[in-house]
Amino acid sequence: MTPTPDMTKILVCCGTGCIANGSLKVARAIRDEIVAQGVAATLDLLVEETGCSGMCEGGPIVRILPADIMYYKVRERGAKDIVASLGGDPLKRLLFKDARGERVTAQSENPFYAAQVKIALRNVGLIDPLSIDEYVARGGYEGLKRALAMTPDEIITEVERSGVRGKGGAGFPTGRKWRTAAGYDNYPKYIVCNGDEGDPGAFMDGSTLEGDPHGVIEGMVIGALAIQAEEGVFYIRDEYALARDHVQRAIEAAERAGILGDDILGSGKRMKLSIVRGGGAFVCGESTALMASIEGRVGEPRAKYIRSAERGLFNQPTVLNNVETLATIPYILKEGADAFASVGTETSKGTKVFAMVGKVKHTGLVEVPMGTTLRTLIYDIGGGIIDDRPFKAVQTGGPSGGCIPDSLLDLPVDFDTLKKYGAMMGSGGMIVMDDYNCMVEVARYYVNFLCEESCGKCTPCREGLRQMHAILTDICEGRGEQGDVELLERIGATMQDASLCALGKSAANPVLSTIKYFRNEYEAHIDERRCPAGVCVKLTEFTIDPEACTGCGACLRACPTEAISGAVKETHVIDSEKCIVCGSCREVCRFNAVVTEGRRA
Amino acid sequence: MSTAKTLSLTIDGTPCTCESGEYLYDVAKRNGILIPVLCRSDAFEDHRACCRVCIVEVEIKGRRKVVTACVYPVEQECAVYTNSEKIVEERAIVLALLAKRAPESAEIVAMARYYKAPELDRLVELDGGRCILCGRCVQACESLGTGAISTINRGTEKEVSTPYHNPSLACVGCLSCANVCPTGAIPFIQAPSTRSIWGRDFEVLSCERCGAPMGTREEIAYAAKKAGMETPVICDACRKHEIADSMMGTYRLV
Repeated sequence: MTPTPDMTKILVCCGTGCIANGSLKVARAIRDEIVAQGVAATLDLLVEETGCSGMCEGGPIVRILPADIMYYKVRERGAKDIVASLGGDPLKRLLFKDARGERVTAQSENPFYAAQVKIALRNVGLIDPLSIDEYVARGGYEGLKRALAMTPDEIITEVERSGVRGKGGAGFPTGRKWRTAAGYDNYPKYIVCNGDEGDPGAFMDGSTLEGDPHGVIEGMVIGALAIQAEEGVFYIRDEYALARDHVQRAIEAAERAGILGDDILGSGKRMKLSIVRGGGAFVCGESTALMASIEGRVGEPRAKYIRSAERGLFNQPTVLNNVETLATIPYILKEGADAFASVGTETSKGTKVFAMVGKVKHTGLVEVPMGTTLRTLIYDIGGGIIDDRPFKAVQTGGPSGGCIPDSLLDLPVDFDTLKKYGAMMGSGGMIVMDDYNCMVEVARYYVNFLCEESCGKCTPCREGLRQMHAILTDICEGRGEQGDVELLERIGATMQDASLCALGKSAANPVLSTIKYFRNEYEAHIDERRCPAGVCVKLTEFTIDPEACTGCGACLRACPTEAISGAVKETHVIDSEKCIVCGSCREVCRFNAVVTEGRRA
Repeated sequence: MSTAKTLSLTIDGTPCTCESGEYLYDVAKRNGILIPVLCRSDAFEDHRACCRVCIVEVEIKGRRKVVTACVYPVEQECAVYTNSEKIVEERAIVLALLAKRAPESAEIVAMARYYKAPELDRLVELDGGRCILCGRCVQACESLGTGAISTINRGTEKEVSTPYHNPSLACVGCLSCANVCPTGAIPFIQAPSTRSIWGRDFEVLSCERCGAPMGTREEIAYAAKKAGMETPVICDACRKHEIADSMMGTYRLV
């Protein structure tokens, strides 16, 4: 059914997260209720499963347009009331409660959305991703039409003027990359979409591919026109089943609509797109390893002294762009470079999508202008730290990124600023941590991840990570030695310079940045055999402060090992023999009665 | 390829010239400057650039960067430093890490000592380690077309082996992998008429004329098939004698 402007649309978020929370059942329940209540007779109605609406923490989300009513945490049983309320007052109990405790109706009234500017995500959550008609109705493929009337040089100039930089993490100017590839008179050329997003906690690219596959396809076709390629490949990680399915179906729809194939919109130009499934290796997000993987070889990077733009996939000139970058391209072509460049900072134009997770109240997918501060992201959009605990650090850029402390919360987030402070913006993963996170343990976690996910080809990365992991494990388990921190720094410096690929060069970042900003925590572990955050099991003991304990029993119920005893309204006691230091008691105690102490006796 | 342009550069202050696109290692070697390498072998055209021992600093227009000499193509005038403070330190750390990985390799231990790699007792040693994962063996097997071994797993668990650690039917027992290994990390047993490698036992054939060992049945057959010849039953030396004898006979008749 083609939507009409004045019809009532019920958008049910069916991103991977909301589906996991039962949103497909919600959509079905709403459809059933519409039939049961017979509302279709009086209202022109359309129920749609959309891509990610952003505020994953509040999912499943149902949005009603044009009234702009946004419901959160909707269950099947809510469908009846939602349908009954159509055309009338919104259902108060399903609305968002803001910081003052007031219910807000429209999306823009929710502070999570208020500071966002959506360019790459302009359609995600608003349209049925499988409907090419809806994409076109929102201005889709207009950018392509404009590009078809331009010369390759004009397209590249437009992209260069926009100032857009690669959003996969490195921030290389997209226009310059395209111009380099366009300059080689060697055919065939290829355009490849990097959809191998592998950072723990990141879901920007997956959500974009799921929620607006045509947007990325349009970006691919425009890029292909610019470098004069006629073939493109989506490299999508195997875990993104829904994204793959949506892209596949969107490719087929675009072929039927004459957008892909032997005669793009009657222009005589050709374009063929296909999908290659990633095998699940993190390192295959690295450009040369990704191309090796597409070619069917071992996913190992090669030295990049000869760039992919000259010799990439199958040794032919290749442009590799990240999903988000490609999703931005149609906007630049349709609205013009100036419109795009008016957003962002001097050197980082436009917007950036972040996947914000961890100890933040409102986790989800957000898109903000470049230069937005971390404080705005975490406190205004994210609503602050869960239980209003103190903020400790935010981990940006995935395993190759760094941890940023609270003293730098007012830094503008863009490509250059974070780099200056020893972190990187990366592809957009953002993990917020509070004072219950041990930074040494965080470093150990990422190094462990990289020990498994490094390709293992070059010495500094493989052996450096192995040794770092052993040292960090020692520190976390109370076997740290004097000089360990300096040794980690020394190995890390060599890894940064001497490793073969970007993964290896940045693999020491989680260690080096935590040492830089949280050296005192390392020292507490080594010198005092104490884990200040109360995370490292062998260095932590929990006790209950008899003064603060009210005997409410919350900790007793939360303890998984029955280590806590005590009668109601009497002081509770932790049996350190049974305690596994999981921290559940500390989390549930509303009186701060669980005290973190040094190593158990 | 366009016609190569001649470039001038300095390596540790020594003026050198090269053709555009030449690998820095080769330019240095031609000029008598030896940059240490482990994973690079003259036997191959492509180099894996994975041991990272050949790192040097290249300065172009005042900007310095660390590159691996074995695969860095010189494409503009530059100043190269093979022994700057940074390189000396980082090469030493790389070798220290390799020495912990391959403590049983005399070559690596000696090299680490020569380049003043720190002892770093704090680091863990791999028990019985000899392999430094340079990948030369895999390169050799691949370039022969046999493809019996490859690197398996990734990260710190990476190793060289046959598929699923099972004896590989693709292996012809030619020992090329063991011969290119810089640390002697690939074990094999060579007896007068048998050879064992990668979990397989091979029969070694002898020359029907002189009795000298010629190689395994499989490798002789493989090489002959690849060259489009019949499987030989005599060794190269005896074949040469045979040809010489027959030519002698031919000339005598003239």
